[in-house]
Amino acid sequence: MNSMRKTRGHTREFWVIGLVTWIGVTLALACPAIGAVKKDKKEIVIGTNLPMTGILSMVGIEQRWAYEAAVSDVNKAGGIMVKEYGKKLPVRLIVADDESDPGKAAAAVERLIKVNKVDLLLGGFAAPFGVIPGCITAEKYKKYYHTSICLIPPWLEHKFQWSTLFFFDLGQACSVPYEIWNTIPKDQRPQKPALIMEDTFDGRAFAGIFRDLAKKYGYQFVLDEPWAVGARDYSAQIIKAKSLGVDAILIFGADADCITFVRQMKENDFSVKYMHGWKGTWAGEFYQALGKDADYILCDGFWSMDFPFPGARELGERYYDKFKKYSVSVGALYALCQILWQSIEKAGTLDSAKVRQAVLANEFQTMMGKVKYDKDGVAIFVSTGSQWWDGKQMTVYPFELTNYKFKLAPPWKDR
Amino acid sequence: MRKSKNAIVSYLIGLGALIFFIALPLVVDPEESYSVYFLFMCFLYVALAQGWNLVAGYAGQASFGQHAFFGTGAYITAIAWKAGWTGYFDPLGMLMSGAGAALLAVLIGIALLSKLRGDYFALGTLGLGEILRVITTQGGTLTGGPVGLLLPSSAYQSMRPYYFVALSVAVATFFSVLFLVKSRIGLALVAIREDEQAAAANGIHVLKYKILAFAVGALFTGLCGCLYAYYLFHIHPLGFFSLNWALLPVLMTVLGGIGTIAGPILGAFVLAGVFELANLWIPEVHPIFSGAFIIMVMLFMPQGIMSLGRRGGKSPVFEKLFRFKSMSSSS
Repeated sequence: MNSMRKTRGHTREFWVIGLVTWIGVTLALACPAIGAVKKDKKEIVIGTNLPMTGILSMVGIEQRWAYEAAVSDVNKAGGIMVKEYGKKLPVRLIVADDESDPGKAAAAVERLIKVNKVDLLLGGFAAPFGVIPGCITAEKYKKYYHTSICLIPPWLEHKFQWSTLFFFDLGQACSVPYEIWNTIPKDQRPQKPALIMEDTFDGRAFAGIFRDLAKKYGYQFVLDEPWAVGARDYSAQIIKAKSLGVDAILIFGADADCITFVRQMKENDFSVKYMHGWKGTWAGEFYQALGKDADYILCDGFWSMDFPFPGARELGERYYDKFKKYSVSVGALYALCQILWQSIEKAGTLDSAKVRQAVLANEFQTMMGKVKYDKDGVAIFVSTGSQWWDGKQMTVYPFELTNYKFKLAPPWKDR
Repeated sequence: MRKSKNAIVSYLIGLGALIFFIALPLVVDPEESYSVYFLFMCFLYVALAQGWNLVAGYAGQASFGQHAFFGTGAYITAIAWKAGWTGYFDPLGMLMSGAGAALLAVLIGIALLSKLRGDYFALGTLGLGEILRVITTQGGTLTGGPVGLLLPSSAYQSMRPYYFVALSVAVATFFSVLFLVKSRIGLALVAIREDEQAAAANGIHVLKYKILAFAVGALFTGLCGCLYAYYLFHIHPLGFFSLNWALLPVLMTVLGGIGTIAGPILGAFVLAGVFELANLWIPEVHPIFSGAFIIMVMLFMPQGIMSLGRRGGKSPVFEKLFRFKSMSSSS
């Protein structure tokens, strides 16, 4: 601490530099610097807070691509007709990085509303990290926040008046593995499943529903444990599961954690015939990180390029051409944009209250099929189940949308 | 003579800045202007940095546990509000949050400061934040577990009260630290920082003063946690016990000038400003730019921005600039 000396005799220049810095930054921020609204409206400015850095950045990149694809397509079609301005206006998307942090998400939405002067907002990722802080901030300034990827119960708890939600029902999403198990011959079904859920907001919500549904479908977890976000060593849990003879794992966690978990399973020579992940196993990076070791693992998803809706296959192929990997999310996020574009047209204005009203009042044709919101501002879609196979997520559920027959995993040495 | 002239100029500039800050939200619309939110955050950072500066800069006890006090303040606010003991922007709630954090600092301080010094004390305080994060995650209905506590966001009316309360907290922190360091307490703290054994030999109750500094720092940090909880309306372990709340005050104080009264203020404003402008103008690479800025300052001004104005102790950058100036003028 010898370097910690009290400084004396500061010069005038120092104080002038200090004051100029403060006032300069403050004034710079006081001015509507970027994308300010002009009297002659030339474009529709849409803002979004996405996790471009931090623990959720893998999924944030997919979400950004989907939004940008939807913006690009609507602009190629000439823009959106806004009756109030008597012409079609192109859309400009401004992405603010929320760094996978709730406080930064609130700051990002403040910045989008006050500095970028956005007309409307598209949602971020995950209830506690991006969506709920975004909704709360939008609520403060009465700006419409059109969102997805947020569990419905915590969102409903806030009774938001300036946002709507397009997401799956938790009960339906959690029933997918049991529905799949029921298609397996009885003697091959999992006998000793384990439930390993991230110790977070979303993880606990999923865990409760999985437990309830296990009773309903006649299964019992031999291992039921939460796991910590960002812990680097899961060998204790893996060894415990191995000693209990666990033959199936339902896991909810972040991408990086799920990748680590699977790697450590292999290092410990522990394999299960059925492994199904939520949140952390569907991004393309999961396969890129694990390669062939990701085969047989199932993931949740919001959409499939096999869906029989207009544009679904083309979007999936565009995504593959760009990243050389497949996605089970971009279609749902693209559909979210489609709903917003149609609502703006139906409202004939960019006024937040009227656009939200148009979202609630109409039915929309999208890449996810027909979408209709209820009076609370929630529209539900079906959560899918897919199996990683040779770098592609093969749709397993809903059964009626696929011909693929999923495979039970052999031990590591036989793969 | 020059010193008193500088002091007068400093006071006048400080007063001018204060008038500017008071007038700003009355001139601009706080619901429209981002500067009000930006300054609200700056004031919180000033109070956080000043609190850490008292503990590390003056008492010489580098703590990495400010996030523990920040989160404690936030959770006390939320729990008290949920229980109906306090309400939105309730002075009692704020008092409880600050006092609760200070009490925690006293309890932990007795255990840690009596046994640990230097790096070991820093690591001990770092552990405190992590322990509290786990406790709140496992805290059941009291803390809301990993879900956290949801507060009624419909209570929000304007950004103005946030701004003025944060400004008041920052000003109160500044004067409290100024008062402490100018008093006999400050003298004792500096004596402890320079040589603990010599201070003890001269009759200074080392542990008492260390705990006092630790508790005062925690009090203001807890108040900041309370204000931020009122702003975010959703208190949960990952966000409020995030290491950011421990590292940012350290970074800001070191950047501004540790062990100085004005250093944390300058560090908080400069760093928050750099982060903000980088976010606005180069959003794709803002973390790289912000990181590079911190490295540059540490490389060329290891004693912080305050060293720019230190008489007889010019930084390498200024030395080079002045040398260049004198060479060019001589040629």
